[in-house]
Amino acid sequence: MKTHERDLIVIGGGPAGLAAALAAREAGVPRVTVVERDHELGGILQQCIHDGFGNFLFRERLTGPEYAARFAGRIPEAGVETVLDAMALEVRPGPEHEVLVSGAESGLVTFRAPAVILAMGCRERTRAQLLIPGHRPAGVFTAGTVQRYVNIEGLRPGRRAVILGSGDIGLIMARRLTLEGVEVEGVYEIMPHPGGLTRNIVQCLDDYGIPLHLSTTITFIHGPKRVQGVTVARVDADRRPIPGTERHVDCDTVVISAGLIPENELSRGAGVALDPVTRGPVVDDRLETTVPGLFACGNVVHVHDLVDYVSMGGTIAGRGAAEYLAERAAGRTAAGGAGAAGEPVVAGEPGAVAEPGVVDAKREWCPVEPGENVAYVVPQRIDARRAAGRPQDRPVQFFLRVREPGRSADVTMTGRSPGGDVVLAHRRERAVRPPEMVAVKVRPDSLAPGVTAIRADVRAKGGDGDGR
Amino acid sequence: MATDPSRAADEALRLEVQADLDASPELSRYRLRAAVDDGVVTVVGEVETWDEVVAAGYLAAERRGVREVVNAIRAARVPPPVLEAAWPAPGPPLPGWVAQADVVVIGAGVIGAAIARELSRYRLTVVVLERSSDVACGASKANNGMVHPGIDPEPGSLKAILNVRGNALFEGVCRELDVPFTRDGFYGLTLTPEDAAILPLLKARGDVNGVPGVEVLDREELLRRVPGATPRATGAFFCPTAGMTSPYKLTLAYAENAVANGVRLFLETAVVGLDVEGGRVTGVRTNRGPIAARWVISAAGIYADRVSAMTGHQEFTIHPRRGALVIFDHQESGPAGASVGWFGLGMPKHSKGGGAMFTVDGNMEWGPDAEEVPDREDTAVTTEAVGQVVDKFSGLLPEFPRNAVIAAFAGLRAATYKEDFHIAPSRRAGGLIHVAGIQSPGLASAPAVAEMVLDLLRAEGILLIERDGWQPRRTEPPHVAGLPQGALAELVERDPAYGRIVCRCETVSEAEVRAAIRGLVPATTVDAVKRRTRAGMGRCQGGFCGPRVAAILAEELGRPTTAITKEGPGSWLFAGRTREGGLT
Ligand SMILES: Cc1cc2nc3c(=O)[nH]c(=O)nc-3n(C[C@H](O)[C@H](O)[C@H](O)COP(=O)(O)OP(=O)(O)OC[C@H]3O[C@@H](n4cnc5c(N)ncnc54)[C@H](O)[C@@H]3O)c2cc1C
Ligand SMILES: Cc1cc2nc3c(=O)[nH]c(=O)nc-3n(C[C@H](O)[C@H](O)[C@H](O)COP(=O)(O)OP(=O)(O)OC[C@H]3O[C@@H](n4cnc5c(N)ncnc54)[C@H](O)[C@@H]3O)c2cc1C
Repeated sequence: MKTHERDLIVIGGGPAGLAAALAAREAGVPRVTVVERDHELGGILQQCIHDGFGNFLFRERLTGPEYAARFAGRIPEAGVETVLDAMALEVRPGPEHEVLVSGAESGLVTFRAPAVILAMGCRERTRAQLLIPGHRPAGVFTAGTVQRYVNIEGLRPGRRAVILGSGDIGLIMARRLTLEGVEVEGVYEIMPHPGGLTRNIVQCLDDYGIPLHLSTTITFIHGPKRVQGVTVARVDADRRPIPGTERHVDCDTVVISAGLIPENELSRGAGVALDPVTRGPVVDDRLETTVPGLFACGNVVHVHDLVDYVSMGGTIAGRGAAEYLAERAAGRTAAGGAGAAGEPVVAGEPGAVAEPGVVDAKREWCPVEPGENVAYVVPQRIDARRAAGRPQDRPVQFFLRVREPGRSADVTMTGRSPGGDVVLAHRRERAVRPPEMVAVKVRPDSLAPGVTAIRADVRAKGGDGDGR
Repeated sequence: MATDPSRAADEALRLEVQADLDASPELSRYRLRAAVDDGVVTVVGEVETWDEVVAAGYLAAERRGVREVVNAIRAARVPPPVLEAAWPAPGPPLPGWVAQADVVVIGAGVIGAAIARELSRYRLTVVVLERSSDVACGASKANNGMVHPGIDPEPGSLKAILNVRGNALFEGVCRELDVPFTRDGFYGLTLTPEDAAILPLLKARGDVNGVPGVEVLDREELLRRVPGATPRATGAFFCPTAGMTSPYKLTLAYAENAVANGVRLFLETAVVGLDVEGGRVTGVRTNRGPIAARWVISAAGIYADRVSAMTGHQEFTIHPRRGALVIFDHQESGPAGASVGWFGLGMPKHSKGGGAMFTVDGNMEWGPDAEEVPDREDTAVTTEAVGQVVDKFSGLLPEFPRNAVIAAFAGLRAATYKEDFHIAPSRRAGGLIHVAGIQSPGLASAPAVAEMVLDLLRAEGILLIERDGWQPRRTEPPHVAGLPQGALAELVERDPAYGRIVCRCETVSEAEVRAAIRGLVPATTVDAVKRRTRAGMGRCQGGFCGPRVAAILAEELGRPTTAITKEGPGSWLFAGRTREGGLT
């Protein structure tokens, strides 16, 4: 079996992986290879033919494939090698990480590189994970699968559909299916508030007269061969169906849009510590995981709502990998150069929760903790001294999600330092909602006074944050 | 047929059963009637609920001398079954069709397939008819996969004899057929001192049944051996011979090996009638035309009583008893080990325990429960059933992460009211052999059931001459998942399609999917591919590989993708093409 030596392997050619590969090349990493399972680059964007991508980065409304092409188009000229139709099966950490790849063209090969970026994206929550009772007939699909059937394969999955969950993909598919002549009876959401962006509720449901039923769920799928209908019921505050509110809905298709889960089989196998809340790797300010030289970006780390943020994260990881390789060349890695000498350095227990703040191979970690009304913050820890030393145009980028919706919310990042608490960053959001990520930047110089811990808080004036 | 003395016995039995029905506090008000012919009790009348229908059946079965029960009671409050499918639509004979056979086997569950494979040793024309699109579509795909040791059944019952014998044969069968099999044993835990006190009696029953190596353990020994077991346990028995297999892989392997040895298997072919002349069966009628046959073996599972009724004289009733199972993520399941279950005097009378066990794929699996249902296709999973299963077994394994459920499904046990296997020549039509009532431990008993059926055929006068070149071995096609790196590299070298991964969760390659479709028992549906390759069984439940598998099926079968189904007629996946017809 062949082994190829590289400087950086990027696993996944979606927006995260592409941005990472380009940034690493720009930062001077010589041999960068992207391994992509599909036969083309672009990741999940290839099937997102609606527009609305790139508002933020390009100030344009691009379709998914157009957005992807902005990055994929630069790949050849940037001198990034791509291996398509090839799946990474295993990542073996070591002084030189090894990635086992199986491809139609390449056969089974090993790529060896000191730095690897994990950019495998996410997968969808399924009916099984929701444990919806009933039969197991044909006609129950996840929204992403329906998107692929309709947009890529040209197949119509049914005639009359209900959508379970009001995540963005489900909302977008409600519109898409309607345009394809599939009757969408309604969208059922177990939570009291919608799961997707307000913009999508308006443009995909309201504009087409598709009702959204909040605090309602499917309690039974009728079969047994093809979906014959569903029973829906309203739920109480604990999300339990309320007896007596059941109603039969005739349909032949159930589309499940109940969230995405970071794809971390490879990360787990590599011994990367995972955060139980995000279900992605614990990362630091340069998106390095708990295994030195292994980086992660995009939906692998946590599920993003906007692809623009995914690309930004890719850039951070690409630059981070370049920085790591430079440190390593200078014998200054976290592993203290031991990496180069041959001993594998694996920090954190495989699949375990990293203990933020622990001294991790000579590095002093500053933990980043979710405070008031914050479900999670990424990165989960930073090297404050290192981050403080970066140029001012490379701030530490934080992403967080709130637990509860609210209006005119103050988002504050507070640092603990020997001289007392300092506000590292603050911004006012018109509205915050759990489905929408909040991005906050912390300038390197604000970290200078020796920050040892960071907390994120969101204090809202109240309301449901539904900015409609 | 019935002689005068037996007619007198029938009448005596009728009076007893009628008295029981009339004396039942629960049922007497319905004035149910019993009739007895040749030891078979038929009960008629109308009650309100399905549970009462079932209760009446059991009551009628209680008296000594009752051979079987035909339960014709209707339940006023239960609407007629809606799910029970009509037999497949009439169709043309399939390629390789024969108008005449020595033996026709009805049903390609594990039992029919095992019998067919046993018959394939001999110079006979053997035809297997299966109404579904694949083998193992009935109970044989929806069970625990446990190869029971044989300690549960009543001593002397067919279940006891065939289970113990089947268990002993299992290793050899699985080796020959290249089917996964593990033997890690079973612990039956008691939770009260009273139950612990009767463990020695249970061991004695095991000894009588011939179960090797049964041990009685005290609490300390149990907790030492099964660290996750509840500290509330008061003791346990251990059966070292309990094992696990893949029920559908075994069924498929039996069927493939039978086909390799000349047996003809026709799928989507249902037996809709039997031809009986002069008290002997002469053939079967199917939705694709008749087949003349000298012997007919009914291994029709949940529909075995319908087949029996095709002679004009139904000899027993099958009542479906549903069992739900929950499956856990293998990441959360921990290292595989022995199965555990509960044992105690308070156990239900039928379908006792179930257990917490590891599938051969390493997933923890809990269940089943037991619930009588009127509809023979009602394999729905209910919230109550899942709740019951999870509560019951988290009581035995309190530390297990009960939330890591990745799937739940249900199967139907094909129970008779006598609760034993009914494996016997029909008393109404010569040449017809019923292999009915094959509920748990039917899988564990399958190799022994096949042996027994061959013995019955011999006794019926069939001439069995061994065929030359019978090939007992069958090999599983290669699977990428879990292959050592060197072997995988070689495989991909030989056929690059092994390098193209179609299912990311279970690491299944395109070559494996194609091999499944081109197999001796070809996969023609998405679920059939799933059973053979595991594509779609992982965490994303086919979300990723579904479109790819459908496309490969369409290509291999030369059908449009829109004609591909999940599991045969009626389970359509696509309503047609989109307006634009897609990007590719
Ligand atoms: C179905 C779906 C629809 C979406 N729709 C929208 C939308 O409308 N608007 C929006 O802003 N966001 C949408 N998102 C969110 C979107 O995923 C992100 O914005 C962005 O695409 C994530 O980029 P990524 O690179 O992290 O992941 P992806 O785009 O998923 O890319 C991951 C890539 O990694 C490859 N890969 C995975 N594992 C391996 C492996 N082992 N070996 C080799 N390659 C591998 C995959 O093939 C894929 O190309 C959607 C997400 C999903 C799942
Ligand atoms: C939840 C559950 C758990 C179980 N667990 C275990 C276990 O752990 N261990 C164990 O030993 N046993 C177990 N069992 C029992 C075991 O599954 C059955 O005993 C076994 O599968 C029966 O096999 P079979 O071939 O008789 O029936 P089936 O697999 O149901 O096969 C009968 C076949 O006949 C076909 N058929 C019916 N009528 C016709 C017709 N007219 N024409 C053509 N074809 C027809 C059907 O389509 C079907 O494929 C369990 C059962 C259940 C329900």
